Amino acid sequence: MEYIEKMNAASRTSKKKKKLKNLYIGLLFVSPVLLGYAIFILGPLIISIILSFTDFSIGAKSTKFVGLLNYKDMFTGKDFFFFPAVKATAYYVLISVPLTIVFSFLVAVLLNQRIKFRGFFRGVFYLPVIIPIASASIIWMWILQPDFGVANYLLRLVGLPTSTWLASDTTVLPTLILFSLWLSGSTIVIFLAGLQTIPSHLYEALEVDGGNGWHKLIYVMIPLSSPIIFFNTVIGFINSIQTFVQPFIMSSGNSGSGGAMMGGPDNASLLYVLYVFQNAFRFSKMGAASASAMLLLIVTLLITAMFFKLSGYWVHSEGDDSRK
Amino acid sequence: MKRQKLWSKTAIYLLLIVGSIICLFPFYWMVRTALVGTDEIFQAVPTFIPNDIKLSNFTEALSSQPFGKFFVNTTIITVSNIIGVLLSSSLCAYGFTRINWPGRDKVFGFLMTALMLPFAVVMIPHFIGWTYLGLTNTFAPLIIPAFFGGGLFNIFLLRQFFMTIPKELDEAAYMDGAGHLRVYAKVTLPLSKQVLIVVGLFTFLANWNDYLAPMLYISSEKKYTLMLGLTLFQGAYGSQWNYMMAAVTIVVIPSLILFLFAQKYLVEGIAMTGIKG
Amino acid sequence: MKKGSKHVSWLISLMLVLSLVLSACSNNGNENTSDPAQTTNDAAKDAEKKEPVKLKFTYWGSPDEKKAIEGATKKFTEKYPWITVEPIQIPNSDYNTKLTAMAAGNDIPDTGYMTSDLGDTWAKEGKFVNLFEMLANDPELKKENYLDYIWYKQTPDNAWGISTAGEAFGLFYRKDLMENAGVATPPTKAENAWTWDQFVEVAKKLTIDKKGNTAMDPDFDPKNIKQYGVTFETWAGPINNFVFSNGGDWLSKDGKDFTLNSPESVEAIQKLADLINVHHVAPSPLAAKSLPAMNVALQSGIAAMAIGGQWMNLDLGNAKVNYDLAVLPVLKKSLTVAISGATVLFKDSKHPEEAWMLFKWMSDPAGAIDLYSSGLWMPTLKSWYTDPALIAKWVDANPAAHPPGFKDAMMNQVLNNGVPDSSYYLKNQAKIVSVTLSSLDAVWLGKKTAQDALNEVAAQIQPDIQGRYDVAE
Repeated sequence: MEYIEKMNAASRTSKKKKKLKNLYIGLLFVSPVLLGYAIFILGPLIISIILSFTDFSIGAKSTKFVGLLNYKDMFTGKDFFFFPAVKATAYYVLISVPLTIVFSFLVAVLLNQRIKFRGFFRGVFYLPVIIPIASASIIWMWILQPDFGVANYLLRLVGLPTSTWLASDTTVLPTLILFSLWLSGSTIVIFLAGLQTIPSHLYEALEVDGGNGWHKLIYVMIPLSSPIIFFNTVIGFINSIQTFVQPFIMSSGNSGSGGAMMGGPDNASLLYVLYVFQNAFRFSKMGAASASAMLLLIVTLLITAMFFKLSGYWVHSEGDDSRK
Repeated sequence: MKRQKLWSKTAIYLLLIVGSIICLFPFYWMVRTALVGTDEIFQAVPTFIPNDIKLSNFTEALSSQPFGKFFVNTTIITVSNIIGVLLSSSLCAYGFTRINWPGRDKVFGFLMTALMLPFAVVMIPHFIGWTYLGLTNTFAPLIIPAFFGGGLFNIFLLRQFFMTIPKELDEAAYMDGAGHLRVYAKVTLPLSKQVLIVVGLFTFLANWNDYLAPMLYISSEKKYTLMLGLTLFQGAYGSQWNYMMAAVTIVVIPSLILFLFAQKYLVEGIAMTGIKG
Repeated sequence: MKKGSKHVSWLISLMLVLSLVLSACSNNGNENTSDPAQTTNDAAKDAEKKEPVKLKFTYWGSPDEKKAIEGATKKFTEKYPWITVEPIQIPNSDYNTKLTAMAAGNDIPDTGYMTSDLGDTWAKEGKFVNLFEMLANDPELKKENYLDYIWYKQTPDNAWGISTAGEAFGLFYRKDLMENAGVATPPTKAENAWTWDQFVEVAKKLTIDKKGNTAMDPDFDPKNIKQYGVTFETWAGPINNFVFSNGGDWLSKDGKDFTLNSPESVEAIQKLADLINVHHVAPSPLAAKSLPAMNVALQSGIAAMAIGGQWMNLDLGNAKVNYDLAVLPVLKKSLTVAISGATVLFKDSKHPEEAWMLFKWMSDPAGAIDLYSSGLWMPTLKSWYTDPALIAKWVDANPAAHPPGFKDAMMNQVLNNGVPDSSYYLKNQAKIVSVTLSSLDAVWLGKKTAQDALNEVAAQIQPDIQGRYDVAE
C-alpha cells in the first residue's frame, strides 16, 4: 500500500515536473514573439497612450500634459478634419468589406470549377497583389485620368458614360472601393483553399437529389465556408479600416506649401489612418495623432469583438476538436 | 441538361476571361506607356500598340537614380527578413502547437489581439525607440523586428498547419530520444515546406514592396530601397507618365518573376494551413 | 518547480526592463532633440577652422534641379576643399514627414530647403538660426543687397528663413497654338496686361473639343476637350495672384480677421472657378494629381496657356518648347506673387558658419550660375536684376529657357510689381491654408459658390487665426 502511494506520489510529482519542464521549454520556444510583443507592441502602445494625453510634437521645446483635450478637440469638431475622416472611413469600410467578400467568394467559386487553364486563371487573379500598392496606385491613376486616361476612352468607345474617377468628391471613394476589389487576390485564394477542402461526396449527394449549381452554392459551399467567410470578414475589416497607401498616393500629399490635398477632393477620401498620419507629420501634432490612433484602436477592438459575438449565430461549426 | 451545362461552362469562361483582362490590363498599360514618347502619350485616341517604341524611357529612368544600388539594398533587407521570419515564426508556432504547456492557447489568443492594432498607434514610439538606440539610417529597424516572432499572422498560419501534423510522428521521435529542437528541425520543418514557402513569399512581398518604414528610417540615398527610389522618381518626374511607368516596370519585374516560380505553391500552401477561422 | 519559475520570472523581468528602457529612450530622445545644442556650437567655433567638415543639405526638386544642385555643391567643395557637402534629395510630397523623422532622430541636416508650413511651426520652436544675425556679422553682404520681400520673419528683426530663389508667376503660352487660333499674343508689360474678359475670350478661342469646335462655337462639347485654353493649379500661390490683384487678402491688415470671404477675394476666386465650370476653358484642377504637370501640358499641347511659376522655364527650356511669357491678366492692379521655398540654417548644426558659407555660395549666382541660367531660379540679389552685365550672365546666356518676354513679364515684373505670397506673413498657416484649400475644392467642383464656401471657412477658422508676421504686435 505504502509503496503504491509512493509510486502515485512519484508519478504525480514527475507529471508536475514534466508539466513545468514543458512550460519552461514552451516559453523558450515562443520567447521571440513574447519579447517582440513586449518591445514592439505593448511598450509602444503604452507610450502612445501616454502621448495621447500630451501636446507632444517632435522638435518642440517642451511637452506638457493636456488631459483629455486631444480627445475633446476631435469630438467638438475643433479638429476640422476629424468628422470628414470618420465619414469617409465609415463609407469606405461599410461598402468595400461586404463587396469584397461577395466578389471574392464568387470568383473563388468560379476558379474552383473543373475548367481548363485553371492554374493560369488563379495566378492572374492573384497577380495584382504581387506588386506594391504604391506602384499599382500610380498605374491606376494614369489609367483613370479623366481627360486622357484609357479607361474613359474605352468607356466612350463602347458608348458607356465616363467618370471623373479620382478627380471629384463623389467618385473618389467608389473608385477606391473598385480598386480594393482589384486587390482582393489574397481573399480569393483563401476562399479557394477553403472550397477545396469540401468533400466531393456532398456535391454528389446533392446531384443525386436533383440539385443544380445554385443549390450547391447555397446548401454546400456557403454553409461549409462560413468559418472562412468569417475569417475573411474580420481580416478584411481590420485591413480596410487601416487603408492608407491608396488614398495617400492617389489623392493627397503632405507638404502644405505645394498646397497638396489632405485627402482627396473636398476631403472625400481622407480615410482615418491618412488623417492620423497627416496630423502627425503634416501638422507635427503627435499628441493629437496618438489620441486619434487610440480611438481607432478602441473602435477596431469593439467592432471585432462584436463580429466574434455575432459569429455564433451564423458560422457553421464542424465540431471537430481533433485538431487540438 | 447537357445544353444547360454548356451554357454554364460558357458563362464561367466568359466571366473568368473578363476578370482576367481587368486584372492584366494595368500591367499591359504600364508596359505600353513605358514604351511611348511624350507626344504619343497624350493623344486623344490612345494607341494600343506603340507606333514608335522608345526604349530610351528605360535608360532615362535607370540613369536618373542608382537603381542598381537600390536593388542591392532591397535584396539585403528582404533576404534578412525572410531568414528572420521563417526562423522565428516557425519556432514560435512550434511552441504554440507541439509543446503542451499550461496557458498556451490563452497566451496565443492574447497575442493575436495585436493583429487588430493599427500601425499608426505604434509608429511614433517605434521611431523614437530606434532613434534612441542610434539606429536610424541603418537597416536595423527594417530587419531586427523580423527576428522577434516574425509577425503574428505568420505564426498564425504556421500554427494552423502544425496542428494538422499527427502527434504520433513527434512521439516516435521522442522514443528515439530526440528533444524538441530535433523534432522541430527533423520532423516539423521538413513536413512544412510548402507553408514555409507561402510565408516566405508573403515576407518577400511585404518587404520588397514596403514604403513607409524605409521612408521613415532611411535618410541617405546610398541606403535607399527600390520603393524609395521610385517615390523619389515620382517626386521628380511628377506626371511624366512614360518615365514613371518605365520606373514602375523596373521595380515590379522581380516580384513578377518570383511569383511565376512560386505561384503553384500558393493556393496549395494556403489550403494546407487549413484556415478554418 | 524552482528552476522553472525562476526562468519565467527572469523572462518577465527582462520584458519589463526592455519596455522600461524603451520608454526611457523616448524621454531621452525628446530632451536631446529639444536641447538647443549650445555647447556643440561653441565647441565648433573653438575648433580648428580647417578641420574637415561635412555638411548635409536637404532639398526637393526635378532631375535637372538635382543635377544643378549637385554641380553647385561640387564647385563649392573645389573652392573650400575642407568642406564636403552631402546633398539629400527628398520628394516634395514627403518632405515634412522626412524632416520630422530626421528631427526626431537627431539627424537633422545643417541647411536645406524648408516648406513654409513646417518652417512656421519649427520657427516657433526656435529650430532655426536668425539670418539677420548672420548677415549683421557678415563682412561681405548686407540685408539691402537682397530683394526686400524675401525674408521669412518671426519678428521684424528675426528671420528664420530666406527665399531659396526669386520666384514669381506669369502667363506661359505656346506661340504656335496662338497663331493657329489667330489670336494676338498676350502683352509682356504690366501697363498693357490683359483684362480678365480679354483673357477669357482668348482662352475660349484656344479651347478645342475633339470635333474641332472651339468654346466659342454653339456646338462645343465641354465633355470632350482636346486642347484647353489655360491650365492653372489651385494651391495658395497661384490663387493669390488674382486675390491680391483684386485687392483681397487672407487676413485683415491688423491680422485679426480672416478676409478671404471679402467681396474682393471672393470675386477673384469665383472668376478662377468659372474658368472651369462656366467657360469650360480649364481642366478641373482636382485631376491635377493625374494630369500631366503644367510644363508637360504645354509641351504636349493639352493646354495652350498656363498660369505657372517661373521655375517652369527650366523644363520648357530643356524640352525646347516653342513658348513665351506674358504678364498675368489683371483684375484691379497688375502684379505677380513672389514666392519661394525657404532655405534655412538649422540651429542644431555643428557647423553654422560653413552652412552659412554654403548658403551664400548657392544664393550668389556667380558661384552657381547653372541654377539661374537653366531657368530654375531667379537671383535673390538685387544687382542681378539691374546690372545689364550680370543679367547677361543668367538671362541672355540661355535664351531657350528665357524667351523674349521673360525680362519684362517676369524679371522686371517681380522687381517692380512683386507682392509677397501669403506664406511669408501668415501665422499658423499649416492649419489655415489646408482648411481653406480643402474647402475650396467644392468651389472648383462647381458645387458651391466661392462666397458660400469661404463664409463657412471664415466661421470655422476664426479661432485658429493668430495674426501676421509682418505686423508688429
